Amino acid sequence: MAMFAWIMMGLAIWHFTIFLPDREWGGIVGSFLGALFGSAIFGLIVNGFTIPGQDETHVLQALEAIPGALIGIGIVYLEGVRRKIPPLEL
Amino acid sequence: MTDRRRNAFILLLVAGLLIGSLTAIFTKKTREGLDLKGGVQLVYEAKPTRYAKVTPDAIQQTMDIMRERVDQLGVAEPEIQRSGDRQIIVSLPDVKNADAAQQQVGTTAQLYFYDWEKDVLGKDGKPHPQDPSVTGGQSAGQPGAGSMGYYEAVTTASKFKPTHEPDDTTNGLFYGVDEKTKSVVCGPQETKADTADVCKSAGAKPSSIVEVPRGYVIVQAESDGEDKAAQAAAADAYYILKDDPALRGDKDIRDPKQDYDSSPGGGNAPIVTFSFSKDGQKKWQQVTREIAQRGAAQTVPGEPSRNAANHFAIVLDNKLISVPYIDPVQNPDGIDGSQGSQISGGFTLKSAQRLANLIKTGALPLRLDLISNSQVSATLGQQALNQGLLAGIVGFSIVALFLLVFYRVLGVVAVGALVIYAIYFYALIKLIPVTLTLPGIAGLILTIGVAADANIVIFERVKEEIRAGRSVAAGIAMGYKKGLSAIIDANVVTFMVAFILFLLATAGVKGFALTLGIGTMTSLFTAVLATQAVLGTMQRTKIIAHPSALGARESKFRWTQDFMGASRWFFSMSGLILLIGALAIGGKGLNFGIDFESGTRVKAAFVQEPKVDQVANTLQTAGFDSPEVQRIDNDKELKGSGVQISLAESDPQKTAKIESVLAKKFGEPKAYQASSIGPTFGKTVANSAVVAIIASLLVISAYIALRFEWKFAVPVLIAVMHDILIVAGVYSLTGREVTTSTVAALLTILGYSLYDTIIVFDRIRENVPRMPRAAFSQIVNRSMSEVLTRSLATSFSTALPILALLLFGGDTLKDFAFALLIGVLSGAYSSVFIASPVLMHWKEREPLYRRRRRRIAEDNGGIVPAYATAGAAVTVDAPEPRRRAGNRLTAPDDPERQVSQSEFDAMVRDIAHETERAAVATRKEPEPDPTADAQPEDLVLKEKPKRDKPKGPRNKRHGRPR
Repeated sequence: MAMFAWIMMGLAIWHFTIFLPDREWGGIVGSFLGALFGSAIFGLIVNGFTIPGQDETHVLQALEAIPGALIGIGIVYLEGVRRKIPPLEL
Repeated sequence: MTDRRRNAFILLLVAGLLIGSLTAIFTKKTREGLDLKGGVQLVYEAKPTRYAKVTPDAIQQTMDIMRERVDQLGVAEPEIQRSGDRQIIVSLPDVKNADAAQQQVGTTAQLYFYDWEKDVLGKDGKPHPQDPSVTGGQSAGQPGAGSMGYYEAVTTASKFKPTHEPDDTTNGLFYGVDEKTKSVVCGPQETKADTADVCKSAGAKPSSIVEVPRGYVIVQAESDGEDKAAQAAAADAYYILKDDPALRGDKDIRDPKQDYDSSPGGGNAPIVTFSFSKDGQKKWQQVTREIAQRGAAQTVPGEPSRNAANHFAIVLDNKLISVPYIDPVQNPDGIDGSQGSQISGGFTLKSAQRLANLIKTGALPLRLDLISNSQVSATLGQQALNQGLLAGIVGFSIVALFLLVFYRVLGVVAVGALVIYAIYFYALIKLIPVTLTLPGIAGLILTIGVAADANIVIFERVKEEIRAGRSVAAGIAMGYKKGLSAIIDANVVTFMVAFILFLLATAGVKGFALTLGIGTMTSLFTAVLATQAVLGTMQRTKIIAHPSALGARESKFRWTQDFMGASRWFFSMSGLILLIGALAIGGKGLNFGIDFESGTRVKAAFVQEPKVDQVANTLQTAGFDSPEVQRIDNDKELKGSGVQISLAESDPQKTAKIESVLAKKFGEPKAYQASSIGPTFGKTVANSAVVAIIASLLVISAYIALRFEWKFAVPVLIAVMHDILIVAGVYSLTGREVTTSTVAALLTILGYSLYDTIIVFDRIRENVPRMPRAAFSQIVNRSMSEVLTRSLATSFSTALPILALLLFGGDTLKDFAFALLIGVLSGAYSSVFIASPVLMHWKEREPLYRRRRRRIAEDNGGIVPAYATAGAAVTVDAPEPRRRAGNRLTAPDDPERQVSQSEFDAMVRDIAHETERAAVATRKEPEPDPTADAQPEDLVLKEKPKRDKPKGPRNKRHGRPR
């Protein structure tokens, strides 16, 4: 259940990347993958590589995904900058 | 074939099929599922035994034996189906006693004959044939001397050393024991993991799981038929046997029959007689000889031989059925097997018949664990059917009304097609035949929406063509032609989802998938082919001569919003909803029903309504731990008030007794519905759902990548994920119960979300080559403005029958409808405001669109307009395939003229475009410039440029003279 909450939070955070200048490596899809993998991996790390079940999942676990998603998006964005991907002006 | 002939042929086909369908409807019987006509459904999970692994053959063999047993129950139209790798579903309509059905159908019926004195073991693990404190003496096999408590027997045997004899019947068995209370709380099972599962489902908490090793079996003492005192004494009286059977029921016994004991002193008591196989005869003679000789050796001169007679034991499923003695004087050389033998001892007529039948049908090759047991009374089934039908009729009526109001004459044609569709569908259900269940009815109602959607997509296209200046006839022809690809794509995707669901999902969901699949294909025929033939025939009549008859007058409203510009606000809204959903999932979790959590739920109504406390006390007295009882009023299924009982226990053997316990105390319930689900069942449902979702997504992605472009597949997946997670979030926030119906609904949402997205993407695909100098955001904006009305209309027409399900369906259908309604609304929203902007963002990064964007911005003072405008981005109509002479689609409106005005206009546009293309083709190709735009030819998707026919050497005779 915690994995479900992490993924959902990752997807929620990803929606706000639309406000970023589109420089991510892989574009909006790259940031989508960054957010999802970031939130899941960070959640796993924080919980000692275990996935809490339905009874052990609480609000904090959903919040744990936020830094993970941001880190994931950040990595993808910085890689885009390193690759000199020009921003998309929409 | 000319259009007129083609239309006539299709109409004849439609009429022929209609007559055939009506005949089938009136002559064939509908096969109703248990949820509609009442009965018992048992779900078993097959486990391996010492002699057989769980293979498809072993499952089939088990099902064949079960079918024979069910036939002996005299049940009309039973169904025995395989589900997944290990499960068997037995549906027994009209059966009221779940307990009796279980005993008859799922009993393993492994019958063994043991040489009692030789095989019964003492606490030291050795036989003591002459010690009555081990063998029981003359009371062999009875509770009392020699027998021990269950816990003692299990723990004692667990210390014995395993043997590896070839005739051992097990590889060792595991038991859950409670050391504090010194009791065996669950088991036996073949593995430790299975034992843990069974303990959980029974609500038992063993302190440890112990193994009785291979070579030993624990058997329950013989109990005397109906004598309750004897049964109570045998309840905790067990023996340890060396697992060395002399004969096996499935190999050595033939022709078992229930008979009466007519021998002197037999008192015509019911018995079971049988004969032996050839091999069995030899074994029988040999073992009885050994027993007789041992008895003769122990006989004390002067005492009756009966006192020293030894015994053989008949064991059925680890329970002693009978332990008769062999008189050494009467049978010094054993008993001749050619005359057969008999089993007597405390049988009632029914139990003797049952044993005879079980031996006759043979032992099941696999061990079966009952993991789910549902019981629906006939009254509740009829009511569910009525609710389903009402929801169907209301759903159909409001969709029909919507079509009539919006599309007028076209609406009448569409409603006619829907009626034909419903008749075909119902006939197919009867002809295949498909067992109609509640989820199946939901599938049928949904397909009404699918059928209407197909018509809406085409009719909107027809209206568009007519508004663009084509004649009504040409508009109809062109509308069908252009709308077909989107409909086929959308229907193929829905069909694929249905197919994957059917292959992978559990039983209830399968019924839904089958009806959805049949409905999708049938609707494609009625909504596309039949309506086209009708309209094609009507095109020269006055009924549809004027565009207003089709609701296609000049549109007063056009979508001109900057959808892509506003997408960031829609993204924010979705993000916020998902954020709240994620917090809800974390904080509240999902309210999983017993389908997933395991347990038992009972709904019952009585003539004299008992108090909640009384019901709870009655169940507690009957041995059920902490039952939660609540009163329910105005329950649709119970037709009024009643009680709902929730139990953590799911052991079907135990929970099957609830009805009789309640009936004994409060009288026969007037309505009763029970469902017990074990933990294994829930796990299977969840796993199959996850596999079905992943498989559907993979297949659909591949299809979209193939039909469109791989970049179109990713936004589709993101939109689907968005919809499924939003539904999950809403379920968490509202605390609604997640059941197997919810899972089916989630999988359907997957298909439906795609339907809408494909409609939008199809128009984008079409517009890309039509707008060769526009930015991708402009292409998407234009596509949106063109299809938003029909997208809203299709979502609305799908939502209408779902709303009918929600308002008029029973509890099961309501669960289903709620998830679907949220999913369909979210799907409509995500296809426009999530999938399309993601595609736009991704495509705009391509160098080609970056260049276009830069150029358009330069031309417009740094701004890219929301819509392509003349000068900045030229919009041209896509070239239509050149019509061959003699292949005209329409006749002119005015017979005096060779072409209609609209056709003439269309031709002018075509010629202008061709001229432009020709001009471009003859222009000298400039040097490649990285900032230059691509040519329109570069942007045509999936169409290879047509090459001129290679010119062969000219015939010299016709060539220019040299």
